[in-house]
Amino acid sequence: MQTQENVIEIRNLSKVYRDFWGRKKVQAVKSLSLDVKRGEVFGLLGPNGSGKTTTIKMLLGLLFPTSGEISILGKKASDVAKNERIGYLPEESYLYRFLNADETLDFYGRLFNMSAQERNQRADELIKLVGLDQARRRQLKEYSKGMTRRIGLAQALINNPDLVVLDEPTSGLDPIGTREMKDLILKLRDEGKTVLLCSHQLADVQDVSDRIAVMFQGELKVMGSVEELLELREETEIRTGNLSEEGIAEIRAVLKKHGMPDPSIQKPRADLEELFLKTVRESGERPGRRFTAEEMAATQPAAEADASKK
Amino acid sequence: MDFNPTPFNFVSGFNSWLQLVGIIGAIAIGLGLLGSFLYGGGANGLPVFLKGLVSFFKEIVTVSPGRIWALTALTVKECVRRKALLVFVVFAVLLMFGGWFLPESAERAELEVSNHIAFVLTTISWLILPVVIFLSCWGIPEDIRLRSLHTVVTKPARRVEVVLGRMFGYGTMAITILILMGAVGYVWIQRQVPDDMKGINGGTNLLTCRVPVYGDFFYFLDREGLPSRTGLNVGDAWKFRSFVEGNTRSRAVWIFNDIFPETIGESLRLESRFEAFRTIKGSEQSMTSGLEAQYTLLQDTREEAFSSFGVGASFREAGEALREGNFQNASQLLSTVAERMSSAPLDFSPIDCRQVAIASVQESAYVLRKIEKGFEDVAKAFEEFGFAASEVIDPEDEASRGKMSIACAALADVLNERGDDLREAMPRIEVPLEPFEVHEFHEGDAYETYPRELTYTANNESTARFLTRTITDLNDLGKAVKGSELSADLLSDLEAANIETVNAELVIEVLQAEIEAGKLLAADGKLAVADNGRFLQVFDRLVREERLISQDPAGWVLKADLFKDLAPHGALRIQVACLDDQMYLGMARSDMFIRLKDNSFFVGYSKALLNIGLMLCLVIVLGVTASCIVKGPVSFFFTLTMFVIGQFFHSFMTRILMGQEKGSGMIESAMMIVQHRSPSTGIDTSERSMQMIQAADKVNLGLLHAASNIIPDFSNFTSAAIYIENGFDVPWASSVLPAIATFVGFLVPCVIIGAACLKFRELEAK
Repeated sequence: MQTQENVIEIRNLSKVYRDFWGRKKVQAVKSLSLDVKRGEVFGLLGPNGSGKTTTIKMLLGLLFPTSGEISILGKKASDVAKNERIGYLPEESYLYRFLNADETLDFYGRLFNMSAQERNQRADELIKLVGLDQARRRQLKEYSKGMTRRIGLAQALINNPDLVVLDEPTSGLDPIGTREMKDLILKLRDEGKTVLLCSHQLADVQDVSDRIAVMFQGELKVMGSVEELLELREETEIRTGNLSEEGIAEIRAVLKKHGMPDPSIQKPRADLEELFLKTVRESGERPGRRFTAEEMAATQPAAEADASKK
Repeated sequence: MDFNPTPFNFVSGFNSWLQLVGIIGAIAIGLGLLGSFLYGGGANGLPVFLKGLVSFFKEIVTVSPGRIWALTALTVKECVRRKALLVFVVFAVLLMFGGWFLPESAERAELEVSNHIAFVLTTISWLILPVVIFLSCWGIPEDIRLRSLHTVVTKPARRVEVVLGRMFGYGTMAITILILMGAVGYVWIQRQVPDDMKGINGGTNLLTCRVPVYGDFFYFLDREGLPSRTGLNVGDAWKFRSFVEGNTRSRAVWIFNDIFPETIGESLRLESRFEAFRTIKGSEQSMTSGLEAQYTLLQDTREEAFSSFGVGASFREAGEALREGNFQNASQLLSTVAERMSSAPLDFSPIDCRQVAIASVQESAYVLRKIEKGFEDVAKAFEEFGFAASEVIDPEDEASRGKMSIACAALADVLNERGDDLREAMPRIEVPLEPFEVHEFHEGDAYETYPRELTYTANNESTARFLTRTITDLNDLGKAVKGSELSADLLSDLEAANIETVNAELVIEVLQAEIEAGKLLAADGKLAVADNGRFLQVFDRLVREERLISQDPAGWVLKADLFKDLAPHGALRIQVACLDDQMYLGMARSDMFIRLKDNSFFVGYSKALLNIGLMLCLVIVLGVTASCIVKGPVSFFFTLTMFVIGQFFHSFMTRILMGQEKGSGMIESAMMIVQHRSPSTGIDTSERSMQMIQAADKVNLGLLHAASNIIPDFSNFTSAAIYIENGFDVPWASSVLPAIATFVGFLVPCVIIGAACLKFRELEAK
């Protein structure tokens, strides 16, 4: 069933939750079939209750499929050996709150039978990577939600996994954290790792995913590459530098000549994330200063802003 | 102390364990198969089940010590950071003020010491126990509830490693607290017990661990000298002790095996605590000094071989003759019995025949084969006789008695033929020791040390055997006779053999008379018995004819070596008699023992702590296993119930199952309560209903049997404290080994059950 390119293969996967008496309560996943290819970021989307998390938990062996087959890294989902090459960040960071960051990473490192030297080295790297250097000796119960997500991500990467499964990775993170998380996902992809991303933060998924699948009520509704799915085939967008009123009038005339009598020509807007990040960046560089709307208005060409996201 | 320490039978225990684990395993596999068939779509379920089973056992054999250690360390950190060690503070507070409330007893010093030890050990047990039950029952369910376990099982950690890590972690925590508390408790006891009770300043050291060797066999002789399982009941409701009657042949008999210098040292230290019971006030002296009791050390292969032969009336006389060593007489009596058996077979009851069958096969034939000389023919004759006797079952069956008669006659013939050999090979040496006193209300236990070489006044048989051996030895060395006359140096040679001069002269005089009478032959420097007789026969006759009565008022004072003469094969027999008429001595197996060199209190105390530690670990194992199946609160009540039943009701269950508890079945008893009936009248119901009730009660009994096997006997662990509180060392075989075996016996299946339940359950099930 496993091909060389596919890290995850799911065929006709179904999951029915039953009550104590074995009566059907809800069918969370219905005949799901999908593949995740090696080295891609795959986004699994869907509203709450669509079956995303159930699917991931079946992949990880936390739930047993009612029917269907799963192959993950060439092994059955029930095979513990597969976990050697997987990193998992759960929906919420369910870590041991009485441990500090160092102890947490040391503990999870031990579960991979890593040597003390390896554990220390890896913990140092990851703590720096997730920006918890200052808080490494504090118990996790003192952490904010964002910090907890960061240490959760660090534990998921402790074994330098080939496949990273991230369930709502940006949940609880501030925009800076969200950006860093997305940057990290892209970095992982660049390192050749496969990332399975599950979220209902659509913009985040769009920013980093190569391919996406949308689930609704347990069923796979659509799947494909981001470009393929999001391209507006009936429209054309032209972006330029700032144009004068005359310039705009001339373009309108040209477009009218090509059968487009009423094109929409307006100033593009940066998104809120951009504004937020810019404000924070400027505040860091010029502390104590309050900025006006004009100062913070986007001066950067939209195309550059888009590129900076990727 | 009303305990009866018996060594743990490891082989039997292991067999029972294997059976139980096999049954539970078969049930689990059956249920697993059924589940696979139901949920796996019929026949497709079988491969699913088999794959699951294989993967499960693969996980078990590929566990990683590193991961287990990681989970153990995690558990310990969790306990420490959740402040489980605070229990130690409670202990410290209790110790600070405990001494105020413990009674001091100047008259019963051993009670004071016992109270202090009991206080410490009980406090330690009962403080740690609730902590470990709570922690072990809530650990895994909390991990599942908070989903912390998800981040563990999505790593390469096997479920069995999670279970083991939790068990070891809580175990480490419990043992650490136990060691801390134990050390503080030890120092506290040492400080609380006054110096004079510790043997400092010349007092008796009560803070010690006596090391007892209990008798392997214990039985009574009734007033006629016949063996009996129990002694007399003097009406005491407490049935722990049985009584022997004073100034009769009644005795309590202990048999100790493995008595060698290397096992007990060069001397014999006997300690006892008997109960005195009077039917009359007695003399003034007896009132103040107590009852007189006496130990007798015996080497008695005849008692060993024939003690039960003749318990039934039909063979009683023959049995007595065998025990007396009068084998020719026994042969005649058995011939008479054989004749009677063919002429009046129905006079012999099946019960008598059954008893003599058991005695012949299990005692007589067995012991005869053990004796160095070859008595295979005699042993075989006893065995044949025993087998024939065992076939007498029907009171009206004459044929079986006919067979028994033939076997009896054959036995009589063999005994007649080999009687002299048997008499020589089966001695009876009796060494009565100095009488001692037993008080009604006495302080502590009485013990006395006896040297290896014991001096005693010989009875007739010992005298005859001693003289036979002495003369035979001299004769073999050519010192008895010179030419055809008794040697002139015989007197000095006999004196050299520890015979008083007056008695030596008497022996020479009697020997000379025998030579002159032609019953002994002196020729060619050797002494011989006429008509190829034996020296033992000659001296037996001479003693019987009272021609060798000691000229020394002390009698024939001989010496016996404790090990060579009294326990030549390692088995030492000790009889205890009450010497006062109309008085009784109460005894139980543990009331008399050989006291070895005492161990230090620290050793016994450590063993008691070890047993408490094992108990805590077993509770943890049960708690963690239960928590793999059910949620925290349910797991808590389950574990608590197991502990309470195992600690307080296990022996009650065992007694019910062994039929030692009077009363009827559960439903029948309930009906009696409703109908206000007693067991003697029974319930008022139809025969059909009664059958149904009894059938249901049998099912209940089966369930009780299952429960008694599944619920651990926690008294195996707490018994160690009783030993140390009473000044005894904790024996490995009777206390520590059963505790270890119980722990390991439960650990293995519990780990498998816990791991299986955790593996085959959905951690995220909604």
